Amino acid sequence: MRSLRPGPGRGANDDDRILPLINVVFLLLIFFMLAGHLAATDPFHIEPPVSASETEPGAAGPVILVGADGRIAFDGKPVDDAGLRAALVAPVEAGVTHFQLKADGGAPAVRLVEVMELLRAAGVRKVHVLTVPKAL
Amino acid sequence: MPALPTARLSLAPPSNGRRRNLISLTPLIDVVFILLVFFMLASSFLNWRSITLDSPKQTGRSASLEQALLIEVRANGLRLAGETMSLDRIAGRAVAALAKKPDRPVLVRPDDGVAVQEVVQVVDALAAAGVANLSLIRRNK
Repeated sequence: MRSLRPGPGRGANDDDRILPLINVVFLLLIFFMLAGHLAATDPFHIEPPVSASETEPGAAGPVILVGADGRIAFDGKPVDDAGLRAALVAPVEAGVTHFQLKADGGAPAVRLVEVMELLRAAGVRKVHVLTVPKAL
Repeated sequence: MPALPTARLSLAPPSNGRRRNLISLTPLIDVVFILLVFFMLASSFLNWRSITLDSPKQTGRSASLEQALLIEVRANGLRLAGETMSLDRIAGRAVAALAKKPDRPVLVRPDDGVAVQEVVQVVDALAAAGVANLSLIRRNK
């Protein structure tokens, strides 16, 4: 069996001792690159509601955020109701039908319905509310 | 032009025989560490799921409201047709009502002070029971 202690001749070379560390760091790096996905950070924190739904969100589309205090944002930019109405015109005319609604679990549900009514008024018939599965 | 000192930049192995030290690994590790920290902080591991809902009809159209199945989510419980009952019973009633008339829309109306999470739970239970035509509405102001 090989001794874990470096032999008297090998200790002189620092790189030999640091190689296993680099191997591990490289593995971690590759893991994080592949397992996570990069996404633009939201302008405010969202704690998504937990649901038993197993439906994948599907195609990427414009995301409307609803914060816990009722603030809204369209595609990462904070807007007010009139701003959202204006921002919806271009994608709806371009034929986008897949709108995702990312609401905070603690946000007032009435506010969520208001945002959905805005979408309806802009001509969107279906909305996809984003949720996360229950933590194991 | 003075002669440049080429000995350190030479690609030939140094005369002392340590071939490994041609490129020092320390700057490489620095960069890899920085990349690692970047990916750890920037990547998100949230596993997104979605619930598909019909966007709400404009409030005030009473014709569609009358034949719809209205489930009220209040701060103190759930109500269907003016009766407070449990989520399981509501799901059961909704399925029974839809079996008779499948195209009847099901409306979920949250009250003021009800959080999105509670509404999602109701929608979840209804979806699990097989209700497809779901939409949210709000009280007429």
